[in-house]
Amino acid sequence: MAGVVAAPPAIRLRDVGKTFSGAQRVQALGAVGFDVAQGQFASVLGPSGCGKSTLLRIIAGLIAADAGATVEVMAHPQNAPSDDVGVVFQTHNMLPWLTVEKNIRLAAEVRRLPADEITRRIESILPVLRLEGFRGHYPHQLSGGMRQRAALGQILVLLPQVLLLDEPFGALDALTRDQLNVELLRLWQDLRKTVLLITHSIPEAVFLSDRVLVMSDRPGRIVEDVAIDLPRPRDPQATKERPEFARYVVHLQKLMGVA
Amino acid sequence: MAFRALRRAAAGLGSAQVKWWKGSRAIAEPAIVLLLLALLWEYAVGIFGIKRYLLPPLSEVLSALWRGRALILGETWVTTGEILLGYACAVVAGLLLGLGIFAWPMMRRTLYPLIVLFQGLPKVALAPVLVIWFGYGLASKVLMAFLFAFFPVVVGTLGGLAGTPEHLIEHFRAIRASSMTTFVRLRIPAALPSILDGCKTAMPLAVIGAIVGEFVAAERGLGHLILEANANAKSELLFAALIAISILAGLLYVIVELAAKRVWWRAL
Repeated sequence: MAGVVAAPPAIRLRDVGKTFSGAQRVQALGAVGFDVAQGQFASVLGPSGCGKSTLLRIIAGLIAADAGATVEVMAHPQNAPSDDVGVVFQTHNMLPWLTVEKNIRLAAEVRRLPADEITRRIESILPVLRLEGFRGHYPHQLSGGMRQRAALGQILVLLPQVLLLDEPFGALDALTRDQLNVELLRLWQDLRKTVLLITHSIPEAVFLSDRVLVMSDRPGRIVEDVAIDLPRPRDPQATKERPEFARYVVHLQKLMGVA
Repeated sequence: MAFRALRRAAAGLGSAQVKWWKGSRAIAEPAIVLLLLALLWEYAVGIFGIKRYLLPPLSEVLSALWRGRALILGETWVTTGEILLGYACAVVAGLLLGLGIFAWPMMRRTLYPLIVLFQGLPKVALAPVLVIWFGYGLASKVLMAFLFAFFPVVVGTLGGLAGTPEHLIEHFRAIRASSMTTFVRLRIPAALPSILDGCKTAMPLAVIGAIVGEFVAAERGLGHLILEANANAKSELLFAALIAISILAGLLYVIVELAAKRVWWRAL
């Protein structure tokens, strides 16, 4: 059509705060506001306990932000979980009594998709995640890396526009983590989805992202929005050897008070 | 020297033989212990001069078991019926109570404390009342078996349902599963191992309940047979009945355990 109307941002946040009331009132988030454009790979970087997981749950529609906040995903207000968003957490969400295939199938069955459509999606997802040979395996028979790939499959089967990843590989060893990050980039490039990754690893955020949003200690606020101008496709060795890569890492370390 | 020779012999065994030995060890070892205990019972009675009416030698008990087999089998049949009926009621009621208490906070506030309070009551003390209410027959024994057995099923069900990991519940919320779907596809299977543990604990309790019921007032059953043998100073028949009870209890437990093996995943 006209083509002049700019696509709305995939994620739009304004004045997103969260205070947990309980025995003690804890302000987890200050006023957070940023946009993530469609197709962008953005990371939220922050120390542990800074409220970044709270932010992700708000974007996912799992918890409500304080009054006055604007939370929109694909131009719709996000006050409950929606089809547009898929979330992968650090603890995998595989049910131990179901095989890999049945675990991935479960999410689609819950949404009452037609059986042949579910089968079609599963047949396309399993090879992408390199899990074809393991479809009949139970979660306890898989390595940690395979389990997280399968957990990604549980979300991809619903074809969400926006992927929210809460340190999905955080519990894995460094080597597996690097491998999965490379695969994640390949997946992102193939599927053309918007990704918002939550992490506390600076090199990981720089290697993967178009943009790194740095969060302060609790109550979490965005202290800086760093555009990562590194060429794509990124290579696990070559990209990390570039001088800009090191400069980004040092800059972010300073922001986080590590250096 | 001998040890080393044995080791060398073992090393020479093929893997099939090793497997056979490992498999038969599971049976052979307890069998040997049982045999030693049986021998101890048989000869200790003579060696220490224990009076017959206190503890008859095993051989006499076994022969009483064989001679009275028709009687004992008949009584065992009666007791088995009471146990199974009471156990079935306990499992069904325990599941329903557990589900109800979990699902309705009102039931948790009102019914649950009552059940816990009742659990503290010695149920043996209830038996005479039950006989007055439900008579000498089947009903009072079934009720006793039920009362002894239902509590672990309630606790197992409640614990299992409440113990469903929070991150899986959140995942189901994120994929927009209804609470019914979450219940059927997540909470129930996640609770099954704990529910089955409750059912396993309940089985021997149902046996105790039925026997206690028979002790208080009955015309049939193994508990009644024990009282009768005791009154007539037939201690070998008494011990034969005890053996029958332990075999019955063991068999019933093994059946439950085998059925529970189908749920192989453990608490998450």
